[in-house]
Amino acid sequence: MRIVVLLIGGVLGLAAGAVTALFAAGMFGAGAGFSDEINVNGWKSDWTIGSTAANPWTRARVARHGLLALTKEEAVYFTKGVDEDGQRLSEDCRYEVSGGDMPGLWWSVTLYDAQSYLPLNKDNAPSFDKTKAAATSDGSAWSFTVAADGPETGNWVSSRNAGTFDLMLRIYKPTPELIATPEDVLPAPVIKRLSCGGAA
Amino acid sequence: MRAFLTGLAAFAITFLIAHFVVLSALPGKIMSTVRGQMVERGMPVHAWAMSPRVTPESQPVVRPSPDLAYAICLIDLSNGPVELSVPAWPEYGSLSIFEADTDNVYAGSLDARAQGTPGIRRVIVALEGQDLYQYGEAEQVIVSKPEALALIRRLAPSQAAYEAAAALIPASRCAPL
Repeated sequence: MRIVVLLIGGVLGLAAGAVTALFAAGMFGAGAGFSDEINVNGWKSDWTIGSTAANPWTRARVARHGLLALTKEEAVYFTKGVDEDGQRLSEDCRYEVSGGDMPGLWWSVTLYDAQSYLPLNKDNAPSFDKTKAAATSDGSAWSFTVAADGPETGNWVSSRNAGTFDLMLRIYKPTPELIATPEDVLPAPVIKRLSCGGAA
Repeated sequence: MRAFLTGLAAFAITFLIAHFVVLSALPGKIMSTVRGQMVERGMPVHAWAMSPRVTPESQPVVRPSPDLAYAICLIDLSNGPVELSVPAWPEYGSLSIFEADTDNVYAGSLDARAQGTPGIRRVIVALEGQDLYQYGEAEQVIVSKPEALALIRRLAPSQAAYEAAAALIPASRCAPL
């Protein structure tokens, strides 16, 4: 009897341990969600991404959703998968994303689907970056639309075929001030939901 | 009651073991799988290979940046150190090296505007214990396993910039010493 109980407990433990590890690594389930160690208005990051200091959960999650990520001295990565009202970002809705100059050499905002890939479409509008911001303004205040269909005017990032998605903000060569106090220094872009399902 | 506690203890112990064994093995397994896929697609070891421009149809790894031009060199240190040399770039660029377990153990700027960026960045990658005394001038990066990966990122948001980045590959080196 005792051996049977030991065996059942052991087998169940092995199975549960393996499944929870796969889930923690993001092998199934949606989105990147590296860590919320740093959270600036919903833009989440973890300064140990890519480094030897990363804990096993972060390292596994980065391997699955951000393989070949750089350490914070070279680049920092923020992700956000909800709008300002906390609603999951969805292809069915239109959003305006706005922000200011970012504390680093160069930056970009890119849209990824739940599997961490660019959505399959031919819109040629996967991201918005410092170069585009500088082309349409002085770079200190910018905005773009996220939607499945492009706006008549203005900058656009396509969510066509994205399903639920997240936005990733990359800042290359971040300033020391950003690394030291991200909550004080990062001008977190605002994701405002404009409409959903074709409603105005 | 005693049998139940015995089963619970077995569950807890094997749960922890399985959780951390799987969690620790995943990064290396994922890296190894990606490397295997690259080799299957014809990517050689010890040669810079320019990745196609990132599009929804062409995504070599998860979360690729569509604004960057990537070049990859698969490294195998089984037979000795490997030398990397990579020309600078007029805008943002970096040369980075990754361990088999995905850790980013080196990143050097390729941005010609940045102070201290050499015209050609030269790095020697080696395993712990491999003899490097005669390569004193180059930067040296020590990794723990023979299989490593080097990656060039260059800011190239246009087709013209991508082609300019690709044109630098013949002048780059990734080869055993």
